[in-house]
Order: sequence, then structure tokens, then C-alpha cells
Amino acid sequence: MISPIGSTLPIRDTQGPSSVSPVTGGLSSGATDIGPQSFGAVLTQLASDSVATVKSAEATSIKGVKGEASTQVVVEAVMEAERTLQAAIAIRDKAVAAYLEVSRMAI
Amino acid sequence: MIDPIVSSLKIASSGLSAQSTRMRVVSENIANANTTGATAGSDPYQRKTVTFAAELDRMLGADLVKIGDVGRDDSPFIVEHDPGNPAANADGYVKTPNVNMLVEMADMREANRGYESNLQVIKQARELINMTIDLLRS
Repeated sequence: MISPIGSTLPIRDTQGPSSVSPVTGGLSSGATDIGPQSFGAVLTQLASDSVATVKSAEATSIKGVKGEASTQVVVEAVMEAERTLQAAIAIRDKAVAAYLEVSRMAI
Repeated sequence: MIDPIVSSLKIASSGLSAQSTRMRVVSENIANANTTGATAGSDPYQRKTVTFAAELDRMLGADLVKIGDVGRDDSPFIVEHDPGNPAANADGYVKTPNVNMLVEMADMREANRGYESNLQVIKQARELINMTIDLLRS
């Protein structure tokens, strides 16, 4: 479940100057597939992904308390939620640091 | 393509549930070690056996372990002379289950060890993932 989070990072900026020049007609094919992802949208999706994992872990935990799920299943779900949360937090911190770095740029 | 470390977590988890089922079967055998038949001359509890089978998980691209079959041990019952027992036949012989306590204890210990090994795999894989995530910090 780590890979989906990694894929939400902004791909738009990595295309470089080619997507900036609107003179060429090839802009629509490349840019519309990915769609403009703002910094906020990326963070929102990152957060909602991890929230979904945590929610499913909580549901499994409740099932475990009720006796409907085995201990292994509960532990597995909680560990996955923990892992996703850790990864999301680490990536968010990195992204925010990069954003701050850009905003501090001397013009 | 899923992360190999994550898939090893899933594989170890399947091992945990397989060993738990094995443990369950052993406990059934031990609990029923003295269960005789209900009527005169009838068969007692028959020892259960468990087999594992490899199962390819297409999403992970790896072999998980699953319970192949919970079967019955066809070895002969132990016959004892006990004319007073309600399950005794006309000659006074009672069939008792073909459960050997020593074998069950060894099997239980083996299930225990298997479970521990799978737990170790989970522990190690988790540590690797955490170490990798920690690279982003600092």
C-alpha cells in the first residue's frame, strides 16, 4: 500500500519546459492525461488515502473485539495502517520542506 | 507489482493462520484422546491429520500456504479389555482413539515453532520497512 502514495506526488513538474510551451500542439495529449495537480490536491489525496487505511484498520479492530476476526488479521490491519501513516507523514514532511524551500527563494 | 517486503508480510501472515489451524487440530486430538464410542462396539474418536498446500497468489505473485486437507488417520484403534465400559463389545473389548499423546505433543511443539518463525519474518520485514521510511526523516 506504499506505492499508491508515492504515485500521488506531482508528476507535472517533472515534465520540464516542454509542457510550458503552448506553441506545440502536443500539449493536450500529455497534460490532460495527468491533469493539473496542485500542491494542496496532492496533500489532500495523501491524507485521504491514509485515512481510508486507518479506517479499515479500525473496522477490523472492532471486528476483532467482537470475535469476528482473528488476532492475526487485526494485527496485520493495524500494522498496515501504521505503516501507511508513517510513510504518509514522512512524505508530507518532505513535500512541505520542499515547498518552504521554494517560498524562501531569493528573488 | 507489489513491494516484496509487503508481500512477505502477507505470506508470513498466511503461515500464521496455517499453523493456527494445525494447532487447532492438535488440540482436538488431545481433547478427544479418551473419547470412546457412544454405543457398544462403536468406533471411538478418530485422530485428525492436517496437511498444508502451496497456493499461488496472483496479486502477490508468490506462493502462500493454505490448509490442504483436514483428514482422518486410518491407523487401527487401540483396543483395551474393559468389560464395565458402556462402549465395550460382547467380548468386553473397548476401542479407544488412535491418538498417541507423544506424537501430538511433538506436533504441537512443531506448530509452535512454525508460528514463531513466521512471527520473526513479520518482525524483520516490518523493521526493514520502518528503516526505509526513516530514510526520509532526519
